[in-house]
Amino acid sequence: MRIVLSWLRELVPVQLGAEELGDLLAMKGAHPESIERPWAGLDGVIVARVLDVRDHPNSETLCLARVSTGSGEQEVVVGVRNFAPGDLVPLAAPGARVPSLPEPLGARKIRGVVSNGMLCSPRELGLSQDHGGILLLEGGPEPGDDLKRVLGLDEVVLDLEIESNRPDLLSVVGIAREVAGATGLPLSMPDASVDESSEDAATIATVEVKDAEGCPRYLARVIRGLGDATTPQRVQARLTAAGARPISPAVDATNYAMLELGQPLHAFDLRRLAGPGIVVRRAEPGERLTTLDDVERELVPEDLLICDADGSVAIAGVMGGATSEVGEETRDVLLESAYFEPRGILRTSRRLQLLTEASIRFSRGTDPEGVGPAASRAARLMTEWSGGGEVLAGTIDVGAPPARRSISVRPARASAVLGYDVSSADMVEALARLEVRAEPAGDEVRVEAPPFRPDLELEVDVVEEVARVQGYDRLPATLPRIRQPGSEQPSYALRRRVRELLVRAGLREANSLSFASASDLDLMGHGDAIPVANPPSGDQPFLRTSLLPNLARAAARNADRGIRGAALFEVGHVFRAVDGVREREHVAAALWGLAGEGLYADDRPFDVFDAKGAVESLLHGLGIDGWGIGDAAGPPFHPGRSAAIVEADAVVGTMGELHPRVAEAFGVTGRLAVFEFDVDALAPHVDATVAFRDAPRFPPVRRDLAFIVPRETAAGDVLDALTDAGGELLGRRTLFDVFEGGSLGEGEKSLAFSLEFRAPDRTLTDDEAEAAVAAIVARLARDFGARLRAG
Amino acid sequence: MDAAEAARILDRERERGSALVRNARTTEDLEAAQIAILGRKAPFSEVQRALGTMAEDDRRAIGRVVNETRAELRRLLEERRGELREASDAALLEADRVDLTLPGRRLRTGSLHPLTSIQYEICGIFERLGYRVVEGPEVEDPWHNFDALNIPPDHPARTSMDTTFVEVPGQPDLLLRTHTSPMQIRTMESQPPPVFVVVPGRVYRNEEVTAKNMPVFHQLEGLAVAEGITFADLKGTLETFYRELLGAERRLRFTPSFFPFVEPGAQSEVSCFVCDGSGCRTCAFTGWIEAFGSGMVHPRVLENCGYDSERYTGFAFGGGYDRLAMIRFGIPDIRMLWESDVRVLEQFEGVA
Repeated sequence: MRIVLSWLRELVPVQLGAEELGDLLAMKGAHPESIERPWAGLDGVIVARVLDVRDHPNSETLCLARVSTGSGEQEVVVGVRNFAPGDLVPLAAPGARVPSLPEPLGARKIRGVVSNGMLCSPRELGLSQDHGGILLLEGGPEPGDDLKRVLGLDEVVLDLEIESNRPDLLSVVGIAREVAGATGLPLSMPDASVDESSEDAATIATVEVKDAEGCPRYLARVIRGLGDATTPQRVQARLTAAGARPISPAVDATNYAMLELGQPLHAFDLRRLAGPGIVVRRAEPGERLTTLDDVERELVPEDLLICDADGSVAIAGVMGGATSEVGEETRDVLLESAYFEPRGILRTSRRLQLLTEASIRFSRGTDPEGVGPAASRAARLMTEWSGGGEVLAGTIDVGAPPARRSISVRPARASAVLGYDVSSADMVEALARLEVRAEPAGDEVRVEAPPFRPDLELEVDVVEEVARVQGYDRLPATLPRIRQPGSEQPSYALRRRVRELLVRAGLREANSLSFASASDLDLMGHGDAIPVANPPSGDQPFLRTSLLPNLARAAARNADRGIRGAALFEVGHVFRAVDGVREREHVAAALWGLAGEGLYADDRPFDVFDAKGAVESLLHGLGIDGWGIGDAAGPPFHPGRSAAIVEADAVVGTMGELHPRVAEAFGVTGRLAVFEFDVDALAPHVDATVAFRDAPRFPPVRRDLAFIVPRETAAGDVLDALTDAGGELLGRRTLFDVFEGGSLGEGEKSLAFSLEFRAPDRTLTDDEAEAAVAAIVARLARDFGARLRAG
Repeated sequence: MDAAEAARILDRERERGSALVRNARTTEDLEAAQIAILGRKAPFSEVQRALGTMAEDDRRAIGRVVNETRAELRRLLEERRGELREASDAALLEADRVDLTLPGRRLRTGSLHPLTSIQYEICGIFERLGYRVVEGPEVEDPWHNFDALNIPPDHPARTSMDTTFVEVPGQPDLLLRTHTSPMQIRTMESQPPPVFVVVPGRVYRNEEVTAKNMPVFHQLEGLAVAEGITFADLKGTLETFYRELLGAERRLRFTPSFFPFVEPGAQSEVSCFVCDGSGCRTCAFTGWIEAFGSGMVHPRVLENCGYDSERYTGFAFGGGYDRLAMIRFGIPDIRMLWESDVRVLEQFEGVA
């Protein structure tokens, strides 16, 4: 809401500056979004009297105007000729600044004649959109007067953000009431008195409301014989500053009264209405209406219409129709001031996507008792500004305002909610500051909600109002007594641990949107994604089923930006349409490109063993050590470089390199090593306990053994058998070399292990160690046909 | 050999010995010098052997000189030995010298995302105040996201202009939560008071991607419900939180605001931690940084969860922390939080 400060000061004599007023209003809940000085760019423009006008010697369209500035004379070149000697015009002499030009003006030659500045149109001055001619000043300013003072262009505008529950603040009066309440200054209401003619409005026009629910009250006034003067320039400037476009006295008056009082008004051209009978009814199915903005609207039966004898002339509370629009030639006006049921207006304006100053106010709730004064205020201004016309006697007033709400409030409850003592006297005093009537009644205070405050409904609403009037800055700051220690939901703590372990393993946490494209799902082979009805981005119309596609794309994006390697992980929700919605928490990683760079790096790309290493660090860190490698993971994975991760006979995750064609489809060149886990599925296997073993006190016997086995033998199986055969004496065992070729036979490979044998209670003898080695050699020979490699 | 000759020899040997020691350039030179000076065949040893043939007085006098000379020569030898060892160590160490401006060997380092790091920081503060961190689903139903929160059916936030809906057969109107507030309802539905929880998580608004807005962002929700919870407790809680997060000198500005699920409602702003309120780029020259929206839980919300709104009162607060991460770390464009650019991520290695 744009509040013009001079306007505000007409209603409440507040002396505070714009910034202070902004702070004051912010403390009451109306936060300033900006403080504007619309004519800050206007400076040094003065009033000048036209002395004579003659043709430009070198141009057919230009003319030369000699003007008096009070203290001297100037000649300026002008492009239009809508003025005559004696007229008062705005002169921007050299050195002056106008809002439409970036630089101060200078004297310059135009077609051979020096122009000492320029005469200005309303648009050049930022007064209105009118650029048809030079502004002709009204009233009696003197040549030499500063135009800003003459037209009141020192305006400051506070643009306030108004909460949706406070429609009363969408008006100068509403803001003035808050200022008055906060400062104790008196509020004076605008003059809404009218000199009515003897003729009764009811004899000219009639109103019939067929839907009292949608339109509880409809009030009309009739004004006849408006004059043909234009709206005073100062008023036009004020309307412009407030964000309204000056049009004609009839329209300007309705806008002015609306901005001032918060009541939207609509002026119909009485002569353009088919008959003087207004009917308020719901739309017929299929009914159409062309609104003021020249758009034909299709209506539905929940829309409320204002109709004349021929049909609809306005969509109630939203926008008028084109046929009955008031124009410059309008002389007779039927002025509508109504109270419409807010939700109906909201539905219609939303369906038609027509957010107007009227619909915003009506849909939030206007003052049902304010319709009369608003109509009178507008009628008064209309006749005053147009320089003629009569306001017919009385109003046509159909329906009645709803009864005012009565609310019981317990001061004890207010104190309990707010945390400081509020007495009934405090309450009554605070509420009275905002014209809310309240009186003590026993342990309670009986409050009557004013008709302009639809937000006051429950006891707690009044409690807030009291706190607001007294000021939130006066509220003490205390802490509640919390009789529990801080804690984390186990799944949150687990995810935290997962992140910590992956960061420790050298991965960087990524972050991506929760959506997926159809091709992501295709590539992943996921057929049960959840479609998004209105996706923020059309090319990702599903919820993600896996974290991998976004991670793969992130790797590709990094590559595009010239980065040579990335090890990324993400933790987040994925969604599948299984039994409704299956929403799970996943963790996934993608490693691509150079595993290391620089002096000590061995210049190799990430591959599946980097992914496996991260998986090992992760699972070991979670206390999950019994897991195994399952079958190849299937699409979208590389068939020979991927596997399911199995824990307690259940698949808890997958790891591997993506199939080269899939990686390519995500834009990745080279190996893309990944893994993905369902964190929720890992949870039951997590073991945070430490089964402590004494650190060995006796030195180990070390043996390095290389076994030759058939090439297809899984190293993991060999290690398992070796561990089993080694028995209690076998401690640390490390696979340190895998070798093929050389002296080995076709189809053979060598696996070299470094083994430590030890006993907890003595130094092992060589014989004992040899016995253990022999057992291992025998076992591997039996299980795998393994033989010890010489050397 | 008489005493006079012995004295002469000793005198000469002392001279010769010290010269030999002085001239030794290596430990080998020195070993040779020691043999030449004090060895069995050296003149010194001859004098020593001749002592037995001398008269009592001479023997005593020359014997003393012999002892002094030996001690002197041994001292010189030791001294020189030390010097030579030091010199050879120094040469070896010099040969071992490296260029310490070369980079160190580092393990590959990972990093937490800045959004995670700020989330942990925020949740950590509330944990220390006694809150429990909980999380909830991102696909929500209209009851938890809107109805139970006293958001009327025709509220603008409920249209597809703002809300992202998903299509699940048999479950109409499912949506991506527009705020973390549905977890107020889920928490209260699942347990009796007292409740002290905070809820971090993703939320969704149907918005275009710009430098300031994303269709997905992150919020923190807080809820405290018990007997005797007051509006003043809310103010104190937020003040404490922001001072923990942004510095003990921070001031909190607490002003009226409206959210359907609280009454009274409040907006809060905290004095800028960069300029302390005098105005800078971080606070857009206002001196204030927008903080959590908050208020006392609306009695209808408590009743919707089966809580007795006469007996229990509570407060709730919430707000996004993407912007907080941006101003905390000086990230100029919100899209940088979503691109997973390694050059951005690696800057957060030092952030816990």
